[in-house]
Amino acid sequence: MTALRIVIDVLIGIGAIFALAGTIGILKMPDAFSRMQASTCIPTLGTICPLLGALLYAIFFKNGDVASAVKIGVICLLILVTNPLGSHALAKGAYKAGIRPEKKMETDDLGRDLYE
Amino acid sequence: MQKTKFPAVVATFVVCFAFWVLLTWSFTMQELIAGAVISLAVALFSARFFIHEKAFWFLNPLKFFSGLFYWICIFPVELVKANVNMAKICFGGCKKINPGIVKVPVDLKSDYGQAALANSITLTPGTITMETAEEDGQTYFYIHWIDVTAPSGKEAGDAIKGTLEKGLRRVWE
Repeated sequence: MTALRIVIDVLIGIGAIFALAGTIGILKMPDAFSRMQASTCIPTLGTICPLLGALLYAIFFKNGDVASAVKIGVICLLILVTNPLGSHALAKGAYKAGIRPEKKMETDDLGRDLYE
Repeated sequence: MQKTKFPAVVATFVVCFAFWVLLTWSFTMQELIAGAVISLAVALFSARFFIHEKAFWFLNPLKFFSGLFYWICIFPVELVKANVNMAKICFGGCKKINPGIVKVPVDLKSDYGQAALANSITLTPGTITMETAEEDGQTYFYIHWIDVTAPSGKEAGDAIKGTLEKGLRRVWE
């Protein structure tokens, strides 16, 4: 049981580290799109690892609390399904609204093909 | 707009009802009947938007297990790799990045396959799908890439989504 407890704590710690990385990225990145890229760390590993830990906790330490475990699974699924839609819409909307990075991008096929 | 078909209604009903049970997680008769009625109403109105192709393709065991394999083995590995890369960039100073938008060809034919691939690409840190386009029967994705290491076209496509696409092709083609 102690080993399992350590695994759960490590999972939550890993999640915290990746959430911190995403936050630092949001603050330090130079332009809107790169900030969006860095923030993707937070809803993926930064959320899934703590949820996985919570799932294990609900199953093994709460006498098999299936209702909580299932709800945690549903939360995980919903985040994984809805997050890319949001990122995609934000990125496209920002590009359409005319936001460009200050430093010129390496290649910009979207601007070349569709918005000129 | 396509017509509402019976298999599509059944499939949508099953999905809605499963979701209801997962959310409530109580098995009293009243709750189940209320869920069934609401799911049926939702399915009747929204099946034609939800199901565009075959309704029961997922019951084919080969497709089912390759889908399971993709979501449990292939995708998480790519996700962790990309996350570690992104964390390294974030902690090590963000000046060395090399962002750009590349255009890559996609070989998946089915709508669902393309949607799953685009969402998988967006979920991995470092790449965001921004736009899709079709030229001469070939589908292209415009992908914002944080560290451009290959020119647009097949090469960049392999670097971004090579393994993901191989896994998804087994599910949808």
